[in-house]
Amino acid sequence: MAQMPALIPKEVEIQRLKKIWLMVIALGSIAASVEVDNFVDGSLHQTSIRDSAFTPAHWWLYSHFVALPLGWAACAMYDRKIPVLRGPNNSINTGLKMTILGYLATMFTIGVNEMWHFWFVEEIFAVPNHWMFNMGVVVAFMGALAYVVRVYARLVELGAETPGENPYVAEMYKMALEGKLYSRSIP
Amino acid sequence: MTLPKGFGSGGSGGSSSADVERMIGKRVENMTGMITISYLAAWGATFGGTAAGYFYYPWAYPTNSGHFAFIVLTIIEAIGYIFCVKVMQEGSNKNSNGIVAVTIGATAIGTFLISMYVGY
Repeated sequence: MAQMPALIPKEVEIQRLKKIWLMVIALGSIAASVEVDNFVDGSLHQTSIRDSAFTPAHWWLYSHFVALPLGWAACAMYDRKIPVLRGPNNSINTGLKMTILGYLATMFTIGVNEMWHFWFVEEIFAVPNHWMFNMGVVVAFMGALAYVVRVYARLVELGAETPGENPYVAEMYKMALEGKLYSRSIP
Repeated sequence: MTLPKGFGSGGSGGSSSADVERMIGKRVENMTGMITISYLAAWGATFGGTAAGYFYYPWAYPTNSGHFAFIVLTIIEAIGYIFCVKVMQEGSNKNSNGIVAVTIGATAIGTFLISMYVGY
């Protein structure tokens, strides 16, 4: 398995990667909570067309769409301490960048959505202002998946995690770490 | 190995275990207390969030729906909590299975009692 050169001691890198892992689990749980609130908010709008921005389902939804970009931004700030996770030309990691941009889109959509509902009170799922919520979340999920796979692959590479025992999965990890899995990895 | 500025022995490139410990700071295997408090806070916030629904908007959020969301989210949070503690401690000689068992057991009983008696 190809070993990437490290700029920090292995033990330090493992500890820092695991701190990133903690943040990822917390932010993943918040994202799961948003998905649950999709149903809660949807059930409210079966009953009331649009009462106000200040219903429990909306507090739940909107507070998460503020917490998620801020949380991932905190993750990006800590990420700078792990050289191997840097993106092209020492920039922010590509997956992290997509995640933050995606959730930032949802954060700004809170305002856009309120402006739309100032004129059109009907809560129709397919209106364009709602597309921005959904597309933002999808972009964020794609980025987060790429980032999580990168962190996990590095933990495997450092010997802190055991890769899948399935030989096909193990082969995929091996190819990804050697940079040969072009179509399925983001460098 | 070359260490960042402020670490190591003045440019000669050597790093001691004391330097490594200083770079690490608080080790993740010692964060069980913080993770447990975060889990309990998340669980409490979940109860607060769902309770706000069925106490203030009972016509839109039936108590049973609130409890369903509460139970599903508690399971998600519990899995995350166990995962956090186990991953942080693997490879070390630390073991917090007792704390995890007590915490998960307490929140499971709490979730059961709340789902049976609160909000009806």
